[in-house]
Amino acid sequence: MKPLKIAMMSLTHGHTRKYYQTLRDNRKLDWVASCAEDLHAREVYELYKTGVPCYLSAEEMFAAHPDIEAVVLASANDRHMEQVRFCAGRGIHILSMKIPTFDMAEYDEMIRLCDKAGIVCQVELEMHYNPVVLRLRRLIEEGVLGRILSIQATNITLSPVWAFPWQGDPKASYGKVVPLRAGDSRFRGGALCDHPHIFDLIRWLTGSDFESVYAEVAPNLRSDLKVEDMMLVNGRMKNGVSFLFDPSWSRMEERLKVPAPGWEVFPKRMEVNLTVVGEKGVIACDCFGPNVYHNGAPNDRYTVQYTYFDEWIGLIDEFVDCIRNHRQPQINLKWHKHTIEAMNACYDSVAVNRLCAVPKA
Amino acid sequence: MTDLLNEKLRLLTEKYGVEPGRISGSAGKWFVEAAAGGRSVLLPHRVERRFQELKNIVNNGTLEELSTLRFANMSAGGDVRLALEREIDLAAWLAGSPVKSAFATADGGKRTVNALFKLVSGVSVCIECSNLLPAGRPVMDRHEIIAARGVASDRVVDTQVPQSSIYLIADGAAAEYTDVDSELFGLSEFEVTVVRAAFALLVKPELAGEWNRAAGRAAQVAAACLESVVAQRVVEFEEEVTK
Repeated sequence: MKPLKIAMMSLTHGHTRKYYQTLRDNRKLDWVASCAEDLHAREVYELYKTGVPCYLSAEEMFAAHPDIEAVVLASANDRHMEQVRFCAGRGIHILSMKIPTFDMAEYDEMIRLCDKAGIVCQVELEMHYNPVVLRLRRLIEEGVLGRILSIQATNITLSPVWAFPWQGDPKASYGKVVPLRAGDSRFRGGALCDHPHIFDLIRWLTGSDFESVYAEVAPNLRSDLKVEDMMLVNGRMKNGVSFLFDPSWSRMEERLKVPAPGWEVFPKRMEVNLTVVGEKGVIACDCFGPNVYHNGAPNDRYTVQYTYFDEWIGLIDEFVDCIRNHRQPQINLKWHKHTIEAMNACYDSVAVNRLCAVPKA
Repeated sequence: MTDLLNEKLRLLTEKYGVEPGRISGSAGKWFVEAAAGGRSVLLPHRVERRFQELKNIVNNGTLEELSTLRFANMSAGGDVRLALEREIDLAAWLAGSPVKSAFATADGGKRTVNALFKLVSGVSVCIECSNLLPAGRPVMDRHEIIAARGVASDRVVDTQVPQSSIYLIADGAAAEYTDVDSELFGLSEFEVTVVRAAFALLVKPELAGEWNRAAGRAAQVAAACLESVVAQRVVEFEEEVTK
């Protein structure tokens, strides 16, 4: 199979650096170029010494590399619409970050543009390629728990806003400036926007869509943030499964400009845990554990050193396969739309302080 | 089992454009033979994720001034000597120093062995090995690296036993699962390390010499260690540089 000529754009998303090794190692790819959002993004990119040329504009990059077939849009959420339009207009396949947009009119426009261009647009929800999640799904499918009654899940992390400031900017993260609720000085665009995975996984694991959600925000742990950092969500799926989610930034961090050892204050900086309760029993699942542990440099704090972060391999494999074999990825724009609608419903629930229905998928 | 491992190895070599090879062996001794010829011993523990991360922690300066390694390996049956070889190689590899001396005590049947080692670097190592867990129980091991700055371990604080990714507690059934490799999903943790070790050697054939020497050295130290049980004296080894 001819290697896919691929590029990265913007380089401001928190997941940017996680692609570097896979883009280099995967023989189905030829990573030919990158373009940075600004000088700072390029300076950070150059720290990783990828050896791949980096431009400061997409136009310049495509002029120098007209054979680019696909891009990873590693950008702030409010840049996605413009970039999807740019790529679709050139017939360039897209690997979108986990939030294409929270604006549902924009979302429909993205679908229309990609359909019209006949391009693949895969949404980066890497948990689908996590081996623990694969095992969990298999166990559920085998019926070891019987009928699923409830799912509780955490997607909790430190806050990345000091390294990726757009994630603390309501406009850049949520797409527009919307107060959380009357009388609250904070805006939409915080921890919830960073943590779609559990909203996505429950659909994949139960085969059902959202019916309703009730969400609450707590006082912020970081009083200087404009966006929420603590949220809890309760709700129900159409098949009756009840759920309780924690998509917070509840793990404190050192305010580093570039992610590096010592970033975390709490030992484990990122966790996706699920508890699945069925009529026959319970499964407790830690998608990123066990690991190894130390209290060495730089801060002498007890720290989880992760041993697994390979989701990007399977994700990229599927992306290339879909492009070369004209298939739709499992997480495409149309499928993912309902997940975004459920997350928007969480914000609506916070605003009105009551249960909110999620639009039908 | 070997057929399955070779099938998975073939998937990796084809995917990444690496020369093919064939895994052989059993009962703790595994080998890979490249299509071009040449059989090499595998050291699966050296590609296991937790040990690679511990090695990174030692090498990148997270720990400073190693002092002592405390290792344990308890299995259900199996050859204690092979387990000892594994732990000796891990200690020398993680600390980056060969064994200088050893002293061991054991029960009469050598089903349980307690050994103390000194590395050439001066680091002390203790290894406890036994094969008396009830049949069917998974290996319980522990690896703790103690330094002047920091302690690193593959066991989380306040726990005595290995943790799992998934705990299933259901009607009449309790099970644990730890899956660590999506590309090799379906293999056990140990099987994954065998395939990954074979793949590592096929990707980097020059590693074979190093692994063959290290395996030979670990076997020599383990044998002398068990012999010291009878003599009850410290065994000294000639210095040898390990990578």
